[in-house]
Amino acid sequence: MKTTHVSAVAQTVTSNRRQFLSQVAAWSAGLLAAPPIFQVFPQSLNAATAEPLLSVGKGTDYEALLVKVFEPLGGIAPFVKKGARVVIKPNMSWDRKPEQAANTHPLLVKAMAKLCLSAGASKVMIFDRTCQDMRLCYASCGTPAAIESLNDPRVTCSFVDDRKFVPVKIQKGRSITEWEFYKDAISADCYINMPIAKDHKLARLTLGLKNVMGVIGGKRGQLHQGLTQKVVDLNTVLRPTLTIVDATRILLRNGPSGGKLDDVKELHTLFASADTVAADAYATTLFGMKPDELETTKAAFAMGLGQMDLNKVKIVKV
Amino acid sequence: MDRQDACPTFFIVNFRLSHIPSKWWRRAAQLLCLFIFLWLFRKTESDGSGSIAYGANIFFRLDPLVAASAVLAGVKFIAALWPALVTVALTLVLGRFFCGWVCPLGTLLDIASHAIPKSTTPPNPRWRVVKYFLLGVVLASAVLSCQIVGYLDPFSILVRGMAVAVDPWMNRAVTAPFTLLYQQTPESVSNFTEPIYAFLKAYLLPFQQNSFAFSIVSFVILVGVFALEFAERRFWCRNLCPAGALIGIFARFSLLRRFPARACGRCKAETDYTARCRMGAFNDRGLLQPESCNLCLDCLDDCPMDLPKFTFDKPKTAPAPFEPSRRLFLGSVVTGMALPLVSGAVHAARCLTADLVRPPGALPEEKFLDLCVRCAECMKVCTTNALQPVLFEAGLDGAFSPRFMGRIGYCEYNCTLCAQVCPTGAIALLPLPEKQKFIMAKAVFDKELCLPFKKAESCITCEEHCPLPEKAILFKDVEVTHPITKQRVIVKRPYIVWSLCIGCGICETKCPIEGKSAVRMIREEAVPPAVRNDREIMEMPSQR
Repeated sequence: MKTTHVSAVAQTVTSNRRQFLSQVAAWSAGLLAAPPIFQVFPQSLNAATAEPLLSVGKGTDYEALLVKVFEPLGGIAPFVKKGARVVIKPNMSWDRKPEQAANTHPLLVKAMAKLCLSAGASKVMIFDRTCQDMRLCYASCGTPAAIESLNDPRVTCSFVDDRKFVPVKIQKGRSITEWEFYKDAISADCYINMPIAKDHKLARLTLGLKNVMGVIGGKRGQLHQGLTQKVVDLNTVLRPTLTIVDATRILLRNGPSGGKLDDVKELHTLFASADTVAADAYATTLFGMKPDELETTKAAFAMGLGQMDLNKVKIVKV
Repeated sequence: MDRQDACPTFFIVNFRLSHIPSKWWRRAAQLLCLFIFLWLFRKTESDGSGSIAYGANIFFRLDPLVAASAVLAGVKFIAALWPALVTVALTLVLGRFFCGWVCPLGTLLDIASHAIPKSTTPPNPRWRVVKYFLLGVVLASAVLSCQIVGYLDPFSILVRGMAVAVDPWMNRAVTAPFTLLYQQTPESVSNFTEPIYAFLKAYLLPFQQNSFAFSIVSFVILVGVFALEFAERRFWCRNLCPAGALIGIFARFSLLRRFPARACGRCKAETDYTARCRMGAFNDRGLLQPESCNLCLDCLDDCPMDLPKFTFDKPKTAPAPFEPSRRLFLGSVVTGMALPLVSGAVHAARCLTADLVRPPGALPEEKFLDLCVRCAECMKVCTTNALQPVLFEAGLDGAFSPRFMGRIGYCEYNCTLCAQVCPTGAIALLPLPEKQKFIMAKAVFDKELCLPFKKAESCITCEEHCPLPEKAILFKDVEVTHPITKQRVIVKRPYIVWSLCIGCGICETKCPIEGKSAVRMIREEAVPPAVRNDREIMEMPSQR
């Protein structure tokens, strides 16, 4: 590891991550009598770069579009190292077909997996904790079939296993101080957050920050009261390596489950950033809104999770 | 006793092929049918595709008793039950082979009998007529529209007992140690145990852990059938099974007959092989009763003289007289016809509770109970575990019929699996667009529990999950005083669009409050006028 290129803060993050992962292993090994609560120290708060980079592109060939969008970010190499364990977290929560724009488009997920594999990932895991019956959701969204067609044993699209949730203490949480997270998600070397941009009655829009709901356990319905701060609290634990937002089709109304094709708008747009808050801020503009109209974006910015002022974001159109 | 001369035969059915005993063919058939039964049982679940690929309920459709009682009670021709005619046709040719070669309950009883000590008391042949009595009761009662076949049919007893009790309990018992090992041991251990678990999960275990109410009752009934083996070998088949009785009646006319029909003197004098007959099919005068013989072929192998065989030749001796008397037949019909009067009084007295909702596509209640054979296939296949057995909530004759419980699970918008597995069409298989408009119930908000009403907190979980393209839950922004902060706040208050709601129950399932849900499924006709006209929670078509 080239220490000259790694800032002191990033080093703290890495060492905290190692400590965190060894605690996860200890808990899973039953070396602690009762399910323990272990600390996560998000020293990386306020470490968001002052001018995050956001890359945005348009096109109908989704695989080519994805590769193009990665170019300004330096390709896939800065994010996926050789031998890395990668998690791609798309939205697969609803029993809806791709054209209904309730789930991330399967061809995009397939292209993302392909890119990670080409970078030398040892394992690419794709999953989502669905809102409806998982067999129906996985079958309808089209992603497992698309992944299957890659014919690569390194990439899996499996159902969420209820045994794999581990409790995590949310040290900086204002609304919630502890919640269950999916073990595979929090112990990934590279976590790629891949939501689809949708309308949401309570949150107004569901984008990158809210996509974390798919890797948490417990009764998610109970998070809906005071949803904004709770989503942000969860995001202090799970810091995606990259957020890439599927805006090829967006859901304008009746989200997040949708259902009517009339509510879908085809934009054929894709954008990505290492800064999830910046990605969310940009996404709001696609719905004709301003970044500060979304409570989650504002709250996340207030906690130092990222940059929401689009004037300070370096937007590169490919 | 006469010793019959071997006579020239037209066609000898003798399964002996070199040294393979005849009974091995029968055993192979039994094991094959049992395997098919268990495999179909395991396959009776969703794979995400929306259809059940295999004839999961074929055993019910082969059963002539289910066919007869469903057709009689439902007063309709049920096309799906045509395989039962195949069973009847084969029985008219071969005799009661179904009970000896096919029936999985019979096979399981045979397997269990190896572990059960042989009873020392001689079997009481007077029990044998009870099955005909029960048959008469089931059919007569069905004619008067009181369906009790589900309590006495062997497949209903077996499948229901397995689906609601044995399978879920077995799953819990098997997965618990693997979960413990996974969560409490280092990765080195779970790297070894997880592949085993994955194999079990892929081929032997159900996809999900289900739970069913009153499962112990169905379990006790199933175990009871096995416990009867302590009294007599194949007690159930010999003495109680009304399906066996019906098949037996047809078997009396079968073309295939055992020759000789009477046990010869050597047999009686020496070891009395007739007593070893697992069906007790030889009567007290040593004559074989075709309605009892299930063609197990044990006696073919046991006879040291190698005398018996099954042939299509016309028998020389008259068959043993039919056991049940005319009086018994009349008694069973009278009892069968009296049953509906008893339950009818209960019918009239009971009014279905407002929240007793039936599966989507279910026929109107009377017709539904006529056709439902309490097989529990629908309950097993429901992906959300929403269908639960009732005990007596639907009346004395409604026990074990399925009810939809919205707090436990919901009806997936794009799913028709319960209708696909229902053998009699009690749950009608509607084309998906029709099923998506079928009104199971209506959702009703409880203002005392719903957060926006009671606590001035917006929630919206219910609307989020409503699967309809035009949502049946909408919101009014209402300005209220917060009960705690005393500030004026704007709260999103939900209401139901009556004309759109199909009562799928997902809102009731997902409502995040503890305990009873703040929005509940009520049968459409049972929603009180006061609720219907409450504009805060309900939008009626007239109000548009």
